[in-house]
This record gives sequence, C-alpha cells and structure tokens, in this order.
Amino acid sequence: MTTPLVIGSVAYSPNVIPIWEGLRDYFAETTTPIDFVLFSNYGRQVDALISGTLDLAWNTNLAWVRTVAQTDDACRALASRDTDLNFKTVFVARTGSGFTSLQSLQGRRLVLGSRDSAQAAILPVHFLREAGLSEGDIRITRIDSDVGKHGDTGRSELDALRAVLDDRADAAAIGINTWNAIGRGELLPGAFESFWTSPEYSHCTFTAMPSLAIERADPWVANLLAMDWKNPQHRPIMEMEGLQAWVPPRLEGYASLVAAVSEQRIAPRW
Amino acid sequence: MVTTSSLVSPSTAEHTAMGVVLDLIEGIGRVPTGGTVTVGFGHAHRVAALDLVEAWCAATGNEIAVAAQLTVTVRHGRAPDPLAQLDPAQRPGARVWVYTNFDCNLACDYCCVRSSPKAARRAIGADRLQQIASEAADADVSELILTGGEPFLLNDLDDLVNSCTDRLPTTLLTNGMLFRGTRLERLRRMDRSRLTLQVSVDSATPAIHDSHRGTGSWAKAVNGIRIAHEEGFRVKVAATLPADQMHELDPFHVFLDTLAISREDQVIRALAHRGVSDSGIELTVNSLIPEVTITADGVYWHPVAADHDDQFVTRDIFPLADAIAEITRRFVAHRRAADSAAEWFPCA
Repeated sequence: MTTPLVIGSVAYSPNVIPIWEGLRDYFAETTTPIDFVLFSNYGRQVDALISGTLDLAWNTNLAWVRTVAQTDDACRALASRDTDLNFKTVFVARTGSGFTSLQSLQGRRLVLGSRDSAQAAILPVHFLREAGLSEGDIRITRIDSDVGKHGDTGRSELDALRAVLDDRADAAAIGINTWNAIGRGELLPGAFESFWTSPEYSHCTFTAMPSLAIERADPWVANLLAMDWKNPQHRPIMEMEGLQAWVPPRLEGYASLVAAVSEQRIAPRW
Repeated sequence: MVTTSSLVSPSTAEHTAMGVVLDLIEGIGRVPTGGTVTVGFGHAHRVAALDLVEAWCAATGNEIAVAAQLTVTVRHGRAPDPLAQLDPAQRPGARVWVYTNFDCNLACDYCCVRSSPKAARRAIGADRLQQIASEAADADVSELILTGGEPFLLNDLDDLVNSCTDRLPTTLLTNGMLFRGTRLERLRRMDRSRLTLQVSVDSATPAIHDSHRGTGSWAKAVNGIRIAHEEGFRVKVAATLPADQMHELDPFHVFLDTLAISREDQVIRALAHRGVSDSGIELTVNSLIPEVTITADGVYWHPVAADHDDQFVTRDIFPLADAIAEITRRFVAHRRAADSAAEWFPCA
C-alpha cells in the first residue's frame, strides 16, 4: 500500500475539514493517497514542514515567502488555485470620499487588516512606499483581528470596512476576495467605492521541502491538476476552496511580497 | 415636530444595511457549508437590509433561510434541492391518482379510506375526470392511476377509463371480483394498449386474504386475474401485508409467478395505520413523498390518506398544474424543515 503524503493546512474556517476530507477521499482513488494535519497558525505549519513532519504545506503567500527564507530557497512550490495567480489589493473608501490615488491618502486615515495579512497589511504598505508615501504621511490604524492566519479568515478586512462605515477611518486596504464578497461596490453603490487596485500578485501555494522526491511529488501534482470543475464529485470541494482549477504556481508573482517582507523587516516566523 | 435624532439619512441607512452584510460575511465564514448564521438588523432599516442581504445572497451563492422581524438567518451555500434528490418517477405530479368513487363491494378491515358497501359514493364524475386527464397530459404527468372504492361499481367506468387512456397511460385498481355480465362488457370496451389492471391479492392461499377482505374473495380475485389475462390486459398484483406477514413474501411471489404476473408487476405495500386499520405504519406528510391524489372533495397529499384531513391540500382541483405546484412547494418546505431540524438537534 502506498504511504500517504501528509499535507498541512491551517484551520481558518470550519469548512477546512470538509475540504480536506473531500480531498483525502479524492486522492484515495488515485495513485497518490494523502492525509492531512490541521494547524492553528501558519508559523506552526511552516515549522512542521521544515522539521519533516509534513510532506507538503498548503501555504499562504507569506508562509511561502517565509519558508523560502528559512530554507535558503530550497523549498518548492508545486501548485496553486487559479485564483491565486491574480490576487490583488484594493483600496476602498465611502462613496464620494474623493480619493483618486494612493497619493490622495496623504494626511488621511487608512485602516489596515491583521499585521500578518499580505493583502490587507504588508503589501498595502509596500504599495504606499512605491507611491512615495511613508507610514508617517498617513494616519494608519491596524486591526489585528486574526493574527496567525495571514488574513485567511477575512475578519480583519471586514473589521476595517466597519471602521470606514463607522467613520473611524477614511479608507481601507482589503483583498480582492473580500472586495468581491461585498459585491465590488455594485451591490450597494452608495456604500463603498474602490480608488486604487494593485498589480496582480500570487497568493497560496502547495509547498514541499527538497526531501520530497520528485517521483512522489509529480504524480501527486498531476492528480491534483486533474480535478475537474465540471465533475459533480470534485466541484463541491473546489467551490469551498475557492477555485475552478488547480494550476502550476506563478513564482514571479511573489516578488512584491518578498520585497515588502524585506522592507518591513517582517518577523521570520509569522 | 420631527427631531433630527429620528432622521436617518439615506446614506446612513445604506451604510447600516451594509454593516449587516459585513456581519453576515464574517458569520458565514465561521460555519461549514450547509450551516446557518443569524445576524441582527441592529439600527439598519429592515426592508433595506433584507433587500441588500437578498442581493448579496444571489451574488455569492448563499440563501436566506429565515427572514424574521429583527434578524435574518442565512444558509452558507444553498440547501440541496429536495426535488433533485428524488428519482424522477417520484417527482410530485409524475403520476396522478384519482379516486373514482369511495363505495365498494368489500369492507376490508384495513381499508385506508374506509370504503365499504355503506360508504357514500363521492364519485369524481365524467366531466371532472376528463378535465383531469386533459390537464394532466399538459402538465407532464406520465400516468394516471384510478382507484376507489371499487371502480367497477360505476356504470360509466368504461367511458371514464377511456377518457383517461385517450390522454395518458392509465392503471385501474380493482379487487377483480366483478368481471362478469355488463361489467365484463365494460372491461372489454377499455383500451388494452393503454390500460393496466391492478388487482389486490394479499396472499398465496385464501386464508389471509379472506380474513381481511371477506370469505371467498381470494378465489374471485384470482379468477378475475385469469379473466383479465384472457381479455388481453396487462395485470399487476398489489398485496397489502402487515409487518408480521412479510415472511410470506417468497411463497407469495412464487404463487404470482404461476399466475403469469411478471416480477415487476408484483407490488408489495406495507399496511398503513389509516382509515379503518387499527395497526400499521404511521404515514404523515413529513414522512411521505407525495403522490398527487384527487377525490371528489379535492386534492390530497397521498392516496393512502385521501379520506383524512391532515393530508388534505386544497379544494381546488383545477388548474391541476397549480395543485401539483402547491404539493411540490409543500414537499420542498417539509424537506428543508426536516433538514433544519436535523441541523438543530445533532446530539439529541
């Protein structure tokens, strides 16, 4: 009997359990069975991957970047969701607030999500710096609602939006997924509008240590990529995980986050 | 005088409604697919908030489970469609049952609709049956099933049946005991290519059958099956068996084989605690997949309870499509309520 690959994932929502039980059932029918281990935070998961407890880790972009840093580039990204290849950060404000660019945030109140969220905290600060703004130019509030989960719960971004609605901030930086979840400003045109959208960057990816043999990894990736949105048995898992197709990772999409982590001296074990 | 504190600007109303949606997004993220989350309207205007929640649900693939006065409960994802879980043949309205009459030459001790020689006829009548057949054909009904009472007590049964077979394949339930004289002539005038006869026989030997249906009834029923076959009709046999007689099934099937009843036409049904039966399984609208059933009094959930108010659906037989739609609506509501109850009491 083939030894299952052990995959780590962070339990950011109760749906993580049916997702991974569904994936386990799917892979049980393939040549590459899996089992999974759930973690309460990405720091602990990356530790387990590096120590060899895991064969693979389902990592956020920050967890991938931290794994790269801690393994001197030795780890490998195997696959991502289609939605991970074109992630963006969106700056939003109440409709009619008059923001036209990142520069127009100067002197205004900006609310960011949890400090370990790439999309709602780390990258927004990076984009502000690229626009010539420093943290001192803007009155920044951070809402650390879900630290440890790298913004996966979306909670800190929703809290940031509430802060804007409650007039505790003028603008918020959120992930494109949260912006889509609230209807992209179309659901209630009078509430929010976006005034700046970042370039695309990469988000989650399956991460392997070099100790995972190619002969084991490649067939597993092939089986993963074979999951089919049109297959009624695969689709519920894919819907819950937020993708329509598994795809090869886009490594150049992590460059902005690598730069941001370096600029902001982000702690290595977040 | 209106004080400023009682005024809520449109802008503020929109923002508080959006706050409800933000609460929902956060709550939904904390429950598994199929689970529900309830959020309060707070200071939001209920109608505006509900409109926004409805739009959000439509955009995100979730659904409102309950819209209460002060709260809204939303299901993560959409509940499975109870109709999609049914075999297409079980879809409400796939078949329509019609009670042609309620009087009967027998007084079976388990009759679910209390038929007997003393029961009032309550005939459906030729005009209504013709309209039922016509509207059923237009409503994608695939089969009509006529029952009673004993339909062969009706002097116009041939016309009634032919008005059905003219539109749809039809099954006629009978005790098979009256195929002689003018009634046999009526049988001969029915369309063999479109009509199946379903005769009630409860056992392989007379004892059990006659104990429920009357002395000599078994022999007449078996003879009726032979006559029907001789006349060229397809015959099904339906047996009503209490739980303690289910061990009789194998010899019963062998017996029916000797009568040239194909196995697919050997129907075994459990005894229902309905009508004059003092035992049997309990059948409620919550536990029964509906079979649209029409009597002279109106539309019922299922033929097993066509004489019981708890399964009465509507007095309006027509338009038949509306009656089918109403039963379908109630079935979906019952199934979803049952699913919700299962969610509410996982450990009890």
